[in-house]
Amino acid sequence: MSHPPRAKHLWRYTPWPRIRPQEGVPTADKIVFTVNENIDLESGAPRVVLESDIARVFLSEIGGSSHTLHIDGDVGLVHIQARASGHVVAGHLHIECKGKSTVILHLTGEADWSGLYVSGEVSDNCKLAYGFVNELSNDCKLLHCEDWLVGRDATMEIAALSVGGFRSKSDIRTTLSGGGSTLKQAITVHGLGARHIDNHIEIDHKVANCFSKLVINSACAGSSRSIATGLLKVAKGANGTDAGQVFRNLLLSDKARADSIPELEVLADEVKAAHGAASAPVNPEQVHYLMSRGISPQHAEALIVEGFLIDAFSCLDDLDLKNVLATRMTVHLECELMR
Amino acid sequence: MSDEARDIVGDYRYGFHDEDKSIIRFDNGLSEQIVRDISAIKNEPEWMTDIRVKAYHHFVEREMPKWGNPEILNDIDFEAITYFLRSTDATEDDWKDVPEDIQNTFDKVGLREAENTWLGGITAQYDSEAVYHSIREDLESQGVIFLDMDSGLREHPELVKKYFGKVVPHSDNKFAALNTAVWSGGSFLYIPKGVHVEMPVQAYFRINAENMGQFERTLILADEGSSVHYIEGCTAPSYASTALHSAVVELIAMDGAKIRYSTIQNWSNNVLNLVTKRAHAMKNSTVEWIDSNIGSGLTMKYPAILLKGEGSHAEVVSVAYAGENQHQDTGAKVHHLAANTTSNIVSKSISKDGGRSTYRGLLQVTPKAHNCRSKIVCDALMLDQDSRSDTYPTMEIGNSSADLEHEASVSKVSGDQLFYLMSRGFNEQEAMGLIVNGFFDPFTRELPSDYAVEMNKLLNIKMEGSIG
Repeated sequence: MSHPPRAKHLWRYTPWPRIRPQEGVPTADKIVFTVNENIDLESGAPRVVLESDIARVFLSEIGGSSHTLHIDGDVGLVHIQARASGHVVAGHLHIECKGKSTVILHLTGEADWSGLYVSGEVSDNCKLAYGFVNELSNDCKLLHCEDWLVGRDATMEIAALSVGGFRSKSDIRTTLSGGGSTLKQAITVHGLGARHIDNHIEIDHKVANCFSKLVINSACAGSSRSIATGLLKVAKGANGTDAGQVFRNLLLSDKARADSIPELEVLADEVKAAHGAASAPVNPEQVHYLMSRGISPQHAEALIVEGFLIDAFSCLDDLDLKNVLATRMTVHLECELMR
Repeated sequence: MSDEARDIVGDYRYGFHDEDKSIIRFDNGLSEQIVRDISAIKNEPEWMTDIRVKAYHHFVEREMPKWGNPEILNDIDFEAITYFLRSTDATEDDWKDVPEDIQNTFDKVGLREAENTWLGGITAQYDSEAVYHSIREDLESQGVIFLDMDSGLREHPELVKKYFGKVVPHSDNKFAALNTAVWSGGSFLYIPKGVHVEMPVQAYFRINAENMGQFERTLILADEGSSVHYIEGCTAPSYASTALHSAVVELIAMDGAKIRYSTIQNWSNNVLNLVTKRAHAMKNSTVEWIDSNIGSGLTMKYPAILLKGEGSHAEVVSVAYAGENQHQDTGAKVHHLAANTTSNIVSKSISKDGGRSTYRGLLQVTPKAHNCRSKIVCDALMLDQDSRSDTYPTMEIGNSSADLEHEASVSKVSGDQLFYLMSRGFNEQEAMGLIVNGFFDPFTRELPSDYAVEMNKLLNIKMEGSIG
């Protein structure tokens, strides 16, 4: 495949040569997946490849591990640890949800380059809350793609917390393919040092009467850069769509950068589709208020950043998902504060 | 208008045309020789010929944009277009000296009436060149220079050489290169220091001949502390074949100056409107693009402002109507390059009868631009299920002190609003017209009252048949 042109937003800010591990297609080592004792991960996963997307084709060709998680009935909270160790590692996790569950995927390790592909399907009337935490070491590169299919009257919640890695590109695409389906998606990014975090989110309303909400909150310090590109598509005939996207950026230093591109493509008329984007510095009045209560300026700013980032999860309903990610965020910020 | 043309352009009020009585018409097609011939026929200085030739080669080498509407763009047959056509011997300053059929055309589009009542100056361009030009004596005595661009180059070559292509270089994009190679006509406007032009000046661009390309070039310089309101309007006959309009507009607002540039674009649907408009705003200056796109088959236009001076301000109010066989790909670009700069963008669009409206915008804050503020609002109305509305905004923020907001929404006319108006005695059609006029109000209230009334009438005509 030829390199994708930078004219498209998807590849404008993180061109393909900057995120691939090397020229050509190397053979990857496996990302090691482990899961709660009472749950089984089946070996192998259905091959789902979007031929037009170089990242997905690459992840499909590079090899690595592949597993499927079957959820039948009310499974409760499932933690999956994905360990990326080595030079070039890759893994594919597929989730089949035919019940109700909260699944948290923790990606850790110090591999130079990790390729992670997550796919899944939420069957009719089922509910899946899925969280992804990028906790890779500070010098890791990550290419991460997800594809989700949400069925009739099904509910999907997606939360992502990016606090690790040096350079990452995530491309998460969800198709609302069944009438009455719901997607709530929250992404938080905390940029430190020279981190480069690129999130591309596509939500495709294929049929009528679906609901989606996307919130992306990015706080960037140092010389980090957060890129958030979103594409909300409402197909012809998808009347009764109610879709909203909010992109917020908090820039914490002079060298930090944030780019937001929330796109809409609407081909139906009976819809409510809206997006908003905002960027602002930390409000000095808020810092002053906290300092007047005896809190140091650094701690005051950290509290404001924490509140800002955790606020993204308020659009979610699943308490387990919210609590796990909020706790992880708090731990991360406290560690950073103590440095 | 032929039946075939009517199928393409629909019921278009300005679709009439005069018999082609051109005194010079170049053969269709583009080559370096054509470019040199255009320059020669205008007796241009050598430096301008060189710029044209350089731009021509860039045009040939430059790829067609892959965004916007690539299907239509790739179908443009540049060899089928006439690049230069002269209708009269000279640019007249008395309507009596303009050929009668051309006079009648500008009567029909209402230009002469507007000139007599409230305009400070006027340029009427017919195909490639201006056929009529006037400016009020009091403005002239204050040192205001308002000429068609060809005369501007002849009479003020030093000013034109200094600023031509400095805001929009020929290498900017394929169509800017094309314009630079074959430009003809347009306006040259210079406002001296401290002069406030109270009455708007207007240029009117009319394409008459079939297969015509119109490539006017406009350069407006507002010197320190001056102000001006420039209005452009445009119409074309309805033909079955495609016409190309590819203008370049360059504005420079010096320290403390203010330029308002209003456009009422009402080309017929067989016209492809691919223009580049950009402004430089210096210290404490203001540039306003007030832009409406009602006509054309495809418009790709993103008025841009580079806020280069501290304290400068950008304002873009843009409305678009995309009806049957129309794609309005419009938007705005604002680059905050200096500290304490502010911008405000309001974009409104309506899609109807299968039309497609697209907002494509860029807001950039560079690392040195401290304490910038910007607000962008994009609203789209969808009037039927065959239409389409897209929003592609880009925000690039490189300074932590920037305070930016962007919001966009796509919706249909609310049943509650229609019901409320109908309960007050309006029929459905009238109620819809009122709601649409209200939707476009941020644009029309920025226009001089005569234009606002005309704009509302135009919208009402476009909205006919939108109910039931």
